[in-house]
Amino acid sequence: MNAVFTVIFLFSLAVLAFCDPQNVLPALLGGAEKSLKMAVTLFCIYAVWMGLSRVAEQSGLSRAAARGLKPLTKRLFKTESGAANENLAMNLSCNLLGIGGAATPYAVRAILELEKENNDFAQKLLFIINATSVQIVPTTVIALRAAAGSAAAADIFWPSLICTAFSTLFAAGIYILGCKKWRL
Amino acid sequence: MAFVVPAIFIAVLVFAAVKKVKIYDEFSAGIKEAAKFTLSLIPCLAAIFMMCELFEASGLADRLAGALSPAFSFFGIPKELAKLVLIKPFSGSGSLAYLNNIIEEYGADSYIARCASVCYGSSETVFYISAVYFAGLKQKRLAAPIAIVLVSTFLTTVLACLICKIM
Repeated sequence: MNAVFTVIFLFSLAVLAFCDPQNVLPALLGGAEKSLKMAVTLFCIYAVWMGLSRVAEQSGLSRAAARGLKPLTKRLFKTESGAANENLAMNLSCNLLGIGGAATPYAVRAILELEKENNDFAQKLLFIINATSVQIVPTTVIALRAAAGSAAAADIFWPSLICTAFSTLFAAGIYILGCKKWRL
Repeated sequence: MAFVVPAIFIAVLVFAAVKKVKIYDEFSAGIKEAAKFTLSLIPCLAAIFMMCELFEASGLADRLAGALSPAFSFFGIPKELAKLVLIKPFSGSGSLAYLNNIIEEYGADSYIARCASVCYGSSETVFYISAVYFAGLKQKRLAAPIAIVLVSTFLTTVLACLICKIM
């Protein structure tokens, strides 16, 4: 990330210094402003879902979900930690239900738990699964298309499902194979 | 599918009420965690958004999309999608803006807009996720996982354009 950031930042600055120097500061400030707007949006999403998930945790519902999914998460992520398994299970369920906003906090907590075991493999596998999107219902896109007057806004459901399944299985498969062969 | 969200809320809240959880207290406690979590994200978000904004403003984003469009058409990806595909790994809100443009310009039911919708729905903001997930940890070697995700995202885009032709 550091390399990507530095290269893109410097190249863009160099080009702007030539063609449009007075636009550098407005662009930077605009970026910062957008990040705060984004943070507000994210806070709203997290407030709703972390509020609910806290209630689910206290009632023992997440532990029940984690127990149900434990055979799967334990084999897939090779972890013994109870807290990590619980967060992994909740992350996967939220993703599958199409409430991606709720999935991120669980992923971050799972990664912190996995750090305690020094489980590098599981952290990266979780990242890959989330970064290839495992959404079943692409709600945002359907809403956008409906708003633009689509005749059948939800007709992208099957193509999206096939594509998202392909990307996750492909990436996770390559990573697991790669770990066995070349110790990535 | 709209009933999923209310159904989840009702199920969780009823179950919690039966278990005698103090729902208001716990709900607010969850939101407190959300506030802390969001605050911890702001530094990374601000840095990445500044980078994206510079990249856009310098015209490099447009030029890169233009330079790559022949390669994209070779793989069967319409050139109108080039910018969306390039920006998606960096910025969710940025790519959502492009998706919206495409839908408005070509019509929601056009081939281009449907391709764009499927590509958007089946990929994620890879760099943003990597920043958020690994924010609090010591240096991780993420080059290989990120490369795998980007390759798989690209292949998925090719697949999406194929599938939208037949479905």
